Amino acid sequence: MTLKYDFDWPMLLEDPYREWIIEGFINTVYLSLMAWGIALMIGIFIGTIRMTRSPMLRFIGTVYVEFFRNIPLLVQLFVWFFVFPLMLPHDWMMSWNRLPHVPFLTALLALSLFTAARVAEHIRSGISSIPKGQFDAATSSGLTQVQMYRYVIIPYAFRVMIPTIASEFLTIFKNSALTLTIGVSEITSAAKSIEAWSFHGIEAYSVASVTYMTTTATVVLFMGWLEHRLRIPGLIAKK
Amino acid sequence: MTDPLVDIRDLSLWYEKFKALDNISTSFSSGRCVVICGPSGSGKSSLLRCINRLEEFQEGDVLFEGQSLRECPNIAALRSNIGMVFQHFELYPHMSILDNITLAPRHAKGKSKADAEALAHTLLERVDIADQAKKYPAELSGGQQQRAAIARALALEPKLMLFDEPTSALDPEMIVEVLRVMRDLAKDGMTMLVVTHEMVFAREVSDEIIFMDDGKIVERKETDDFFSNPHSKRAQDFLDRILMKI
Amino acid sequence: MDWSVIINNLPFLMKGLWMSVKLATLVVIFAFPLACLIAVGRISTRRWVRYPSAIFVNAMRSNPLILIVFWFFFLVPLITGKPVGDFASVMIGFVVFFSAYFTEIIRSGIQSVGRNQIQAGLSTGLTYFQTMRMIILPQALRNMMPALITECVIVFQGTTIAYVVGLREFLNSTFLITEVTLRPAELYTFAAFVYFVVCFAGSSLARQLEKRQVRT
Repeated sequence: MTLKYDFDWPMLLEDPYREWIIEGFINTVYLSLMAWGIALMIGIFIGTIRMTRSPMLRFIGTVYVEFFRNIPLLVQLFVWFFVFPLMLPHDWMMSWNRLPHVPFLTALLALSLFTAARVAEHIRSGISSIPKGQFDAATSSGLTQVQMYRYVIIPYAFRVMIPTIASEFLTIFKNSALTLTIGVSEITSAAKSIEAWSFHGIEAYSVASVTYMTTTATVVLFMGWLEHRLRIPGLIAKK
Repeated sequence: MTDPLVDIRDLSLWYEKFKALDNISTSFSSGRCVVICGPSGSGKSSLLRCINRLEEFQEGDVLFEGQSLRECPNIAALRSNIGMVFQHFELYPHMSILDNITLAPRHAKGKSKADAEALAHTLLERVDIADQAKKYPAELSGGQQQRAAIARALALEPKLMLFDEPTSALDPEMIVEVLRVMRDLAKDGMTMLVVTHEMVFAREVSDEIIFMDDGKIVERKETDDFFSNPHSKRAQDFLDRILMKI
Repeated sequence: MDWSVIINNLPFLMKGLWMSVKLATLVVIFAFPLACLIAVGRISTRRWVRYPSAIFVNAMRSNPLILIVFWFFFLVPLITGKPVGDFASVMIGFVVFFSAYFTEIIRSGIQSVGRNQIQAGLSTGLTYFQTMRMIILPQALRNMMPALITECVIVFQGTTIAYVVGLREFLNSTFLITEVTLRPAELYTFAAFVYFVVCFAGSSLARQLEKRQVRT
């Protein structure tokens, strides 16, 4: 066999490939956006309880983070897909299985919970990056614990954390590709199917790669703009 | 008169669009201690760093013992004849004080380990921290670290010592011990260029004073002359502000 | 729950785990030196070295690993003109992908040491190469140790993705046993537990090192 490859880019615009690509793109975007939203909410909650004074709450938060971070996402997906329904009471399991789009829901669940652990870590390191003097200054000026977080710490930490929170969207966007293993028709699975049907791997995988790379570039540019808008003058130096 | 040790000719330096040094020509002779002062951003540190080509200047040239830095085939060898002391010490945190001092003599000057260590111990004695040789930089006080850094520079057996704001990062009681070491060096006839705001040191120790502003040398005078006679408006303003603080 | 299914199939499962460990180790061994080269290119002052390295790193980092594995699984036989085996194809994909992540760690490790240390080295007459070797790299390596270990844990987690091309690593072995025994609950719980133990040990080590660094 020689190094020979016939390119056929126009085929990507023909059905069924065109349809697969559109469906895959929509699923990837839906899944990532929804999972990102849920992950932010859970992540902020877990991150906050890890900063409280209660050892019990802190312990729960730590266990959550360690658990979800130290098991590969693909294994988590399989556990949610194959094991989780078996753990439900019998009639719950039946109704779960009767739901439409079970793979999509499972993927949403797994991606959200996994990413929430990462968000919780970012929240914690964001808050601990604030100089200790800020806490002292707020406390000494008579603010209560809640006021201190509300007016001083969170507004400060939020700006520091914008880049990491945005990059978590990109992480989810890329991680959503793993859900093809449980049957979600997202963009990488569309590319894989096109390759399997047409043997035109380069064209097929290019579609997926271009999707990920343009999305990344767009988000990075947008975040650069947002960071610039919200910057604290003189504090966070431009690179 | 003999040739100067350092001869600076029409030297200009840009950082991107900003002109840090503007067509400077001057020279320094052996055995003299010259203090360079001026407001921040006036180019005094940049000038110092051009003398061992830590800054790559765009125009003009610097001659060290008649050797052009611009055309110097082995800049590392040339630098190993010039000691430099930094504002933040820049000791290597992963090495003991002794290793910090012997590194360049061994690897840049090819000294044997035994010779380098013997020299290091003599120098540590001289800067008064003989008992700290085995310690690591982070275990020393700021003043001790800076004296170790001076020993490291002296270990090159240099013909010229450059001091870049050596006391700016130190607490007052530590400034004294570093200045004492520097004064002794000057007394022993070391050629020194010192960027500093310590005007008391300048008056007592230096032979000459250079005042810089906006990348130019505004004045250069014998020390007694500089402090007793009136000078340019800019230098006077600067001195007033500095001395007021003391 | 019937845990005997694990005992009965332990040799097969452990063979899979060994495959995962072997894959992860080889990936780190090959990706790290490659990343050192790219990192030096990334901080070079020469544009024709810096730009290609930056493009490579960003391209890899904006694609999912699973897609890179598909790419290489398709491209490697096409380029070499003969089948090189699943293991080699997957290995090459992993090495290329993770070298981009290692590059960024090494780069920030070097930059964390700072320009002043380079200048201090140069000012005593050491050459650029001597300064890098004796002053910058030893410090950089120590600074980036926690991040490197964390990345090794991520590489180990990433080996699960070899499942999609049928390589018989730990997750795939587990999957195959469930197909035969129909006991997914026990088997996947066991797999999750094993991954957790290995990865938790790795991340704890990284955390310890980080704490020690903050103190000194």
